[in-house]
Amino acid sequence: MTDILALAELTFFWGAFTFMIATAFAGLCAIRLALKGEAVTSLMGVSALTTAAGVSLYLIQILFEIEFARDTAIALLVLGAVGTIIFARLFRMEEGK
Amino acid sequence: MIEEIFVFVYAIIVILFVGLNIRKGSFIVEPTKLLFLVIILSILATMVLYLRGVDLYLAIKSIAKIVAGGIMFAGTLPMILAGIGLFRFGDEFGPNIFYVRNHIVGVIDAVASLVMIFAGLLIFRLDLVAVGFFFFVLIPFCGNALANAYYYSYQRRLRE
Repeated sequence: MTDILALAELTFFWGAFTFMIATAFAGLCAIRLALKGEAVTSLMGVSALTTAAGVSLYLIQILFEIEFARDTAIALLVLGAVGTIIFARLFRMEEGK
Repeated sequence: MIEEIFVFVYAIIVILFVGLNIRKGSFIVEPTKLLFLVIILSILATMVLYLRGVDLYLAIKSIAKIVAGGIMFAGTLPMILAGIGLFRFGDEFGPNIFYVRNHIVGVIDAVASLVMIFAGLLIFRLDLVAVGFFFFVLIPFCGNALANAYYYSYQRRLRE
Protein backbone atom coordinates (compact mmCIF):
# COMPACT_ATOMS: atom_id res chain seq x y z
CA MET A 1 0.00 0.00 0.00
CA THR A 2 2.79 2.38 0.82
CA ASP A 3 4.69 1.50 -2.36
CA ILE A 4 2.56 3.68 -4.61
CA LEU A 5 2.79 6.61 -2.19
CA ALA A 6 6.57 6.24 -2.00
CA LEU A 7 6.70 6.11 -5.80
CA ALA A 8 4.56 9.27 -6.04
CA GLU A 9 6.71 11.08 -3.47
CA LEU A 10 9.88 10.09 -5.30
CA THR A 11 8.49 11.18 -8.67
CA PHE A 12 7.36 14.51 -7.27
CA PHE A 13 10.64 15.07 -5.48
CA TRP A 14 12.74 14.45 -8.56
CA GLY A 15 10.37 16.44 -10.76
CA ALA A 16 10.54 19.42 -8.44
CA PHE A 17 14.29 19.03 -8.03
CA THR A 18 14.90 18.91 -11.79
CA PHE A 19 12.63 21.90 -12.29
CA MET A 20 14.52 23.79 -9.60
CA ILE A 21 17.82 23.09 -11.37
CA ALA A 22 16.36 24.33 -14.66
CA THR A 23 14.98 27.40 -12.92
CA ALA A 24 18.37 28.08 -11.35
CA PHE A 25 19.97 27.88 -14.79
CA ALA A 26 17.43 30.35 -16.18
CA GLY A 27 18.08 32.56 -13.16
CA LEU A 28 21.83 32.55 -13.86
CA CYS A 29 21.15 33.59 -17.45
CA ALA A 30 18.87 36.33 -16.12
CA ILE A 31 21.70 37.57 -13.87
CA ARG A 32 23.93 37.79 -16.92
CA LEU A 33 21.21 39.74 -18.70
CA ALA A 34 20.81 42.05 -15.73
CA LEU A 35 24.52 42.82 -15.42
CA LYS A 36 25.05 43.84 -19.04
CA GLY A 37 23.19 46.16 -21.29
CA GLU A 38 21.12 49.19 -20.52
CA ALA A 39 18.59 50.00 -17.83
CA VAL A 40 15.47 48.42 -19.34
CA THR A 41 17.37 45.22 -20.19
CA SER A 42 18.66 45.07 -16.62
CA LEU A 43 15.13 45.53 -15.35
CA MET A 44 14.00 42.63 -17.53
CA GLY A 45 16.80 40.44 -16.22
CA VAL A 46 15.99 41.26 -12.62
CA SER A 47 12.32 40.48 -13.31
CA ALA A 48 13.24 37.04 -14.65
CA LEU A 49 15.57 36.52 -11.70
CA THR A 50 12.83 37.26 -9.18
CA THR A 51 10.58 34.80 -10.99
CA ALA A 52 13.22 32.09 -10.89
CA ALA A 53 14.08 32.74 -7.25
CA GLY A 54 10.43 32.88 -6.20
CA VAL A 55 9.47 29.62 -7.86
CA SER A 56 12.57 27.89 -6.49
CA LEU A 57 11.81 29.11 -2.97
CA TYR A 58 8.21 27.94 -3.24
CA LEU A 59 9.36 24.50 -4.33
CA ILE A 60 11.85 24.45 -1.46
CA GLN A 61 8.98 25.13 0.92
CA ILE A 62 6.93 22.31 -0.57
CA LEU A 63 9.77 19.80 -0.58
CA PHE A 64 11.47 20.56 2.72
CA GLU A 65 8.65 22.20 4.72
CA ILE A 66 10.57 25.42 5.37
CA GLU A 67 7.83 27.92 6.11
CA PHE A 68 9.68 31.20 5.70
CA ALA A 69 10.62 30.23 2.13
CA ARG A 70 6.96 30.52 1.15
CA ASP A 71 6.63 34.05 2.51
CA THR A 72 9.82 35.11 0.77
CA ALA A 73 8.62 33.48 -2.46
CA ILE A 74 5.25 35.25 -2.37
CA ALA A 75 6.95 38.58 -1.68
CA LEU A 76 9.42 38.03 -4.51
CA LEU A 77 6.79 36.97 -7.04
CA VAL A 78 4.28 39.71 -6.27
CA LEU A 79 6.64 42.59 -5.63
CA GLY A 80 8.91 41.56 -8.52
CA ALA A 81 6.09 41.75 -11.04
CA VAL A 82 4.54 44.91 -9.61
CA GLY A 83 7.94 46.61 -9.25
CA THR A 84 8.83 45.75 -12.84
CA ILE A 85 5.67 47.43 -14.08
CA ILE A 86 6.24 50.53 -11.94
CA PHE A 87 9.90 50.93 -12.92
CA ALA A 88 9.05 50.36 -16.57
CA ARG A 89 6.52 53.19 -16.33
CA LEU A 90 9.22 55.38 -14.77
CA PHE A 91 11.66 54.54 -17.57
CA ARG A 92 9.03 55.29 -20.13
CA MET A 93 8.34 58.77 -18.87
CA GLU A 94 10.48 61.49 -20.25
CA GLU A 95 12.25 63.85 -17.92
CA GLY A 96 10.05 66.66 -16.64
CA LYS A 97 6.75 64.94 -17.51
CA MET B 1 15.39 0.34 -7.20
CA ILE B 2 12.28 -0.11 -9.34
CA GLU B 3 10.98 3.29 -8.21
CA GLU B 4 14.12 5.06 -9.41
CA ILE B 5 13.93 3.30 -12.78
CA PHE B 6 10.27 4.34 -13.11
CA VAL B 7 11.11 7.97 -12.31
CA PHE B 8 13.99 7.97 -14.80
CA VAL B 9 11.93 6.45 -17.63
CA TYR B 10 8.96 8.72 -16.85
CA ALA B 11 11.18 11.81 -16.90
CA ILE B 12 12.82 10.79 -20.17
CA ILE B 13 9.46 10.14 -21.83
CA VAL B 14 7.96 13.46 -20.69
CA ILE B 15 11.04 15.52 -21.58
CA LEU B 16 11.35 13.81 -24.98
CA PHE B 17 7.68 14.49 -25.70
CA VAL B 18 8.09 18.17 -24.84
CA GLY B 19 11.30 18.32 -26.87
CA LEU B 20 9.59 16.81 -29.91
CA ASN B 21 6.80 19.39 -29.58
CA ILE B 22 9.35 22.21 -29.45
CA ARG B 23 11.29 20.71 -32.34
CA LYS B 24 8.19 20.42 -34.48
CA GLY B 25 7.08 23.93 -33.59
CA SER B 26 3.51 22.85 -32.92
CA PHE B 27 1.63 20.31 -30.86
CA ILE B 28 2.07 16.66 -31.80
CA VAL B 29 -1.11 15.81 -29.91
CA GLU B 30 -3.68 18.58 -29.53
CA PRO B 31 -3.70 19.98 -25.95
CA THR B 32 -7.40 19.24 -25.44
CA LYS B 33 -6.96 15.64 -26.55
CA LEU B 34 -3.78 15.32 -24.48
CA LEU B 35 -5.55 16.64 -21.38
CA PHE B 36 -8.44 14.25 -21.98
CA LEU B 37 -5.98 11.36 -22.43
CA VAL B 38 -4.11 12.21 -19.22
CA ILE B 39 -7.37 12.42 -17.26
CA ILE B 40 -8.59 9.07 -18.65
CA LEU B 41 -5.24 7.40 -17.90
CA SER B 42 -5.22 8.85 -14.38
CA ILE B 43 -8.75 7.59 -13.69
CA LEU B 44 -7.82 4.14 -15.06
CA ALA B 45 -4.69 3.99 -12.91
CA THR B 46 -6.68 5.07 -9.86
CA MET B 47 -9.29 2.38 -10.52
CA VAL B 48 -6.62 -0.28 -10.96
CA LEU B 49 -5.01 0.74 -7.67
CA TYR B 50 -8.38 0.76 -5.92
CA LEU B 51 -9.24 -2.69 -7.24
CA ARG B 52 -5.89 -3.96 -6.00
CA GLY B 53 -6.78 -2.91 -2.48
CA VAL B 54 -5.25 0.55 -2.15
CA ASP B 55 -7.30 3.15 -0.29
CA LEU B 56 -9.17 5.39 -2.74
CA TYR B 57 -7.93 8.69 -1.27
CA LEU B 58 -4.37 7.39 -1.21
CA ALA B 59 -4.66 6.24 -4.83
CA ILE B 60 -6.00 9.61 -6.02
CA LYS B 61 -3.33 11.47 -4.07
CA SER B 62 -0.54 9.29 -5.44
CA ILE B 63 -1.64 9.49 -9.06
CA ALA B 64 -2.13 13.27 -8.80
CA LYS B 65 1.34 13.61 -7.34
CA ILE B 66 2.87 11.53 -10.13
CA VAL B 67 1.14 13.74 -12.73
CA ALA B 68 2.37 16.84 -10.87
CA GLY B 69 5.91 15.47 -11.09
CA GLY B 70 5.38 14.96 -14.81
CA ILE B 71 4.28 18.58 -15.20
CA MET B 72 7.48 19.69 -13.50
CA PHE B 73 9.54 17.44 -15.76
CA ALA B 74 7.69 18.99 -18.70
CA GLY B 75 8.61 22.49 -17.52
CA THR B 76 12.30 21.65 -17.30
CA LEU B 77 13.16 21.70 -20.99
CA PRO B 78 11.49 25.05 -21.89
CA MET B 79 13.21 26.64 -18.89
CA ILE B 80 16.67 25.41 -19.96
CA LEU B 81 16.05 26.37 -23.59
CA ALA B 82 14.92 29.84 -22.51
CA GLY B 83 18.14 30.23 -20.53
CA ILE B 84 20.19 29.16 -23.54
CA GLY B 85 18.22 31.64 -25.63
CA LEU B 86 19.07 34.46 -23.24
CA PHE B 87 22.74 33.53 -23.64
CA ARG B 88 22.49 33.05 -27.38
CA PHE B 89 20.94 36.35 -28.43
CA GLY B 90 23.56 38.93 -27.55
CA ASP B 91 23.89 42.60 -28.40
CA GLU B 92 25.46 41.84 -31.80
CA PHE B 93 21.99 41.28 -33.27
CA GLY B 94 21.11 44.96 -33.07
CA PRO B 95 18.83 47.08 -30.91
CA ASN B 96 15.66 45.13 -31.70
CA ILE B 97 17.03 42.02 -29.96
CA PHE B 98 15.44 43.45 -26.82
CA TYR B 99 12.04 42.27 -28.01
CA VAL B 100 13.37 38.74 -28.53
CA ARG B 101 14.72 38.73 -24.98
CA ASN B 102 11.42 40.08 -23.75
CA HIS B 103 9.67 37.16 -25.40
CA ILE B 104 12.13 34.70 -23.84
CA VAL B 105 11.61 36.18 -20.39
CA GLY B 106 7.88 35.87 -21.04
CA VAL B 107 8.41 32.16 -21.73
CA ILE B 108 10.26 31.78 -18.41
CA ASP B 109 7.45 33.58 -16.56
CA ALA B 110 4.69 31.63 -18.31
CA VAL B 111 6.30 28.24 -17.69
CA ALA B 112 6.91 29.09 -14.03
CA SER B 113 3.36 30.29 -13.43
CA LEU B 114 1.73 27.40 -15.33
CA VAL B 115 3.79 24.86 -13.42
CA MET B 116 2.78 26.56 -10.17
CA ILE B 117 -0.91 26.53 -11.11
CA PHE B 118 -1.16 22.93 -12.34
CA ALA B 119 1.18 21.41 -9.77
CA GLY B 120 -0.67 23.30 -7.03
CA LEU B 121 -3.98 21.96 -8.27
CA LEU B 122 -2.68 18.41 -8.34
CA ILE B 123 -1.06 18.42 -4.91
CA PHE B 124 -4.04 20.26 -3.34
CA ARG B 125 -2.10 23.42 -2.50
CA LEU B 126 -4.44 26.30 -3.20
CA ASP B 127 -1.97 28.96 -2.03
CA LEU B 128 0.38 27.88 -4.81
CA VAL B 129 -2.50 28.08 -7.30
CA ALA B 130 -3.47 31.56 -6.09
CA VAL B 131 0.05 32.96 -6.32
CA GLY B 132 0.60 31.29 -9.69
CA PHE B 133 -2.66 32.67 -11.05
CA PHE B 134 -1.90 36.17 -9.76
CA PHE B 135 1.51 35.97 -11.38
CA PHE B 136 0.02 34.57 -14.59
CA VAL B 137 -2.31 37.57 -14.80
CA LEU B 138 0.55 40.04 -14.24
CA ILE B 139 2.94 38.57 -16.87
CA PRO B 140 1.45 40.27 -19.97
CA PHE B 141 1.40 43.63 -18.20
CA CYS B 142 5.08 43.22 -17.28
CA GLY B 143 6.07 42.34 -20.85
CA ASN B 144 4.03 45.17 -22.29
CA ALA B 145 5.41 47.72 -19.82
CA LEU B 146 9.00 46.63 -20.53
CA ALA B 147 8.56 46.74 -24.32
CA ASN B 148 6.84 50.10 -24.05
CA ALA B 149 9.61 51.53 -21.88
CA TYR B 150 12.29 50.28 -24.26
CA TYR B 151 10.48 51.64 -27.30
CA TYR B 152 10.06 55.13 -25.90
CA SER B 153 13.55 55.30 -24.40
CA TYR B 154 15.03 54.14 -27.72
CA GLN B 155 13.03 56.75 -29.65
CA ARG B 156 14.21 59.38 -27.18
CA ARG B 157 17.82 58.35 -27.70
CA LEU B 158 17.39 58.50 -31.47
CA ARG B 159 16.04 62.03 -31.20
CA GLU B 160 18.93 63.13 -29.03
